Amino acid sequence: MAHPILEFDRGREVEFNFEGRRIRAFESESIAAALVAEGILTLGWSPKRRRPRGFFCGIGKCSSCLMTVDGVPNVRTCITPVRDGVEVRRQRPLGELPKAPPPEAKAGELDVDLLVIGGGPAGLSAAIEASRLGARVAIADENVRPGGQLIKQTHKFFGSRENYAGVRGIEIARILLRELDGLSATWLTRATVIADYAGRSHDVVVSTPEGPWRIRADAVVVSTGATENMIPFPNNDLPGVMGAGGLQTLMHVFGVVPGESALIVGAGNVGLILAYQLLQAGVDVKAIVEIMPKIGGYAVHAAKVRRMGVPILLRHTLRRAVGRERVEGAEIVRVDESFRPIEGTEERFDVDMIVLAVGLTPSTEVPRQAGAAWDYVPELGGPVPIHDPYLRTSVEGMYVAGDSSGIEEATTAMLEGRVAGAHAAAELGLRPDRAEGVIKEALRQLESFRSGPFSAKVVRGKQRVWERAREVIG
Amino acid sequence: MRRPRESYDVAVIGAGIIGCATAYYLASRGLSVAVFDRSYITSGATGRCPGGIRQQWSTEDHVRLAMKSVEIYKNLDQELGVETGYRQGGYLILAKTEREVKDFERNMRMQRSLGLPVRWLEPGEIREIVPELDVEGIGALGAAWNPTDGYADPFKVTFGYARAAERLGAEIFTFTGVERVIVEDGQARGVKTSRGVVRAEWVVNAAGAWSRLVAETAGVSLPNKPYRHEILVTEPVKPFLRPMVISFHDNVYFRQSSRGGIIGGWGDPNEKPGYNFESSPRFLITMARLLAKYIPPLRGVRVVRQWAGLYDVTPDARQITGPVRGVEGFIQVNGFSGHGFMMGPATAHLVAQFIAGEPLDLPLEPFSPDRFERGAFEGETAVVG
Repeated sequence: MAHPILEFDRGREVEFNFEGRRIRAFESESIAAALVAEGILTLGWSPKRRRPRGFFCGIGKCSSCLMTVDGVPNVRTCITPVRDGVEVRRQRPLGELPKAPPPEAKAGELDVDLLVIGGGPAGLSAAIEASRLGARVAIADENVRPGGQLIKQTHKFFGSRENYAGVRGIEIARILLRELDGLSATWLTRATVIADYAGRSHDVVVSTPEGPWRIRADAVVVSTGATENMIPFPNNDLPGVMGAGGLQTLMHVFGVVPGESALIVGAGNVGLILAYQLLQAGVDVKAIVEIMPKIGGYAVHAAKVRRMGVPILLRHTLRRAVGRERVEGAEIVRVDESFRPIEGTEERFDVDMIVLAVGLTPSTEVPRQAGAAWDYVPELGGPVPIHDPYLRTSVEGMYVAGDSSGIEEATTAMLEGRVAGAHAAAELGLRPDRAEGVIKEALRQLESFRSGPFSAKVVRGKQRVWERAREVIG
Repeated sequence: MRRPRESYDVAVIGAGIIGCATAYYLASRGLSVAVFDRSYITSGATGRCPGGIRQQWSTEDHVRLAMKSVEIYKNLDQELGVETGYRQGGYLILAKTEREVKDFERNMRMQRSLGLPVRWLEPGEIREIVPELDVEGIGALGAAWNPTDGYADPFKVTFGYARAAERLGAEIFTFTGVERVIVEDGQARGVKTSRGVVRAEWVVNAAGAWSRLVAETAGVSLPNKPYRHEILVTEPVKPFLRPMVISFHDNVYFRQSSRGGIIGGWGDPNEKPGYNFESSPRFLITMARLLAKYIPPLRGVRVVRQWAGLYDVTPDARQITGPVRGVEGFIQVNGFSGHGFMMGPATAHLVAQFIAGEPLDLPLEPFSPDRFERGAFEGETAVVG
């Protein structure tokens, strides 16, 4: 079936080995996506109780797809591209020490003005602004393809014209990447930042498929995005229970639809948008359940989903996932005023996918490891590094931008990235007058974007963080 | 918040392995005990150590004490009612120079005379025990092998002691700093804590790398110095490595944890004394290279965490245990120089015997605080320093 919006350039066909079985795939796919496309949903087993584990986040954050690849254990197969002839095995439950030593690593070194960690909307924008101002920039990104979550967002953005209103996320990613192509930033793809030994400058160790890189940078922008939240319910680890973003990655990046029918948990914008994305991919969406008494997302999305016949069940929650080796059904239940299940109101849906759209938590490992002050701010999705309006953290020369500074939207992530990138360049003494203009304009747009009622909560959270910043940032 | 009582028989400073085990052995003798720690249980060196339990030492008192600890560790699960993860996986101490071969021979003779089943392994025999070890690549001439050495989980052991002590009536006050030791007429009378003054007949200084500062508040001078030691752990792989592997020559040790990660440390010979807890890229890179050299397939295994802790180092790398001259009732149990977890149970037991006025299982004199003034001490050389 053709997708109504996306065209997939799957590239060359390749063949690899999975536990003695030959699997055909496309070179553009990740190993995990190729296995799921073949109907192999169990990618491993949990260490203690040996329960089957499957695809969940799709962006290298949840570790439920760790497999042994060419003898190397614990490879995150969701962010590892397939290659011809590669050997893939599941771990039962732990991987084994490689039989033969893998090739010796090649260490690299790099000296830059600014290192951007994470190549999503915030990181790309920071890299573009800093490069334009003349900074030597490197970007490290873990994924097979750059662009962060933009490359799976098929919906058109809201907001103002200057911030790509009416343009689909996938198109915005292309625009940003094209823009960066014209500048001279250094890309490190499939690169994971291990640590930032921040002292007078930043001494960052990055792991790449070839070996470790050591990058010295005057400034660092951390734009590492977020992880999807999991909620507790029996069988929540069954293959077929997926994060909304994980499923979007499968569908929109790799063109893989891992089931026929779905139940969505959470009626925020992500859950609502996902419902019609699933319909576009030919999936039967049985319902969206939402524990709160009202829909969290925009009314326009909700109306669209309802028009297409998907019920949105408020004051309902998931009681359990049903199935042994994979999801075979979902049992939901109504809840009372204090969110307690009302006995006797259980209802079962026969679905093979349960998709969780229950929020995100900022990915803040790098700033916290580097010693940045942080606080738990529920309005921003949990633990966030303390930062000022210029996105500076308490660690000299370290900035945060996008979801890793607090869960918001791609539009604000891009604006925050621009502020951070321009500010970092200005601090290095690069065209401070021009930088000031960029910062002012981006801050104005941020304020205007955040002026609506939907942003009230975020603004409350940001104000708390900015206030703390006055105490912890010199 | 819970407040300490006005007085106890014993006030213990520090809730690491030493403080918690001492509290347990004191409480089981019917003494009333309060333990104070300015942070949480295991927050110091205990919670940062690799959990090794070694009996192969160059000095006799150390071997005896370590063997006593092993006797305790063997029955500790039953005694405390916890699973401490204690295993006798053995210690493989590699010799890389002729000098080491000679030293090891002498040490092994002494150790065997005390009943330790230690023996010499030729390179081929090392491979039988750890086939993955690149014996030639690292240039090992042989190894001292003691199968009754081992390891346990420092958290489970220490919390096991703490909870068992509490069941016997001891009280542990975490996040309660000791500001000073109260001394009146040359006698320790208690401690001033962040939750008020507590009177005690005895004060036990088990504050690890901070012991010297604690002692100073009582006018007692200790020669201990804090040294940072860094350590890392890899992601888990299926168990393949049973013993702890050590080289004094390379200043390195590593073992596989029960969960499968390789835990290992390297002592930087250029480390300066100080309260430094920073993790360094120098350690990460050096340790990763060493691991890949010792066990080449580890190249394919990632490091997931690194951290640092403080050794509380004395001039002879041997602990300071016992009463001090000038302040009666002020007992030092510190200066373990990186061996507190191994020596902890036996030492704590001896200290409890001493305070309770019982005959001691082993003499404490060799570890007496005043040995440095007397100039009568023999240095421990079998250390990763």
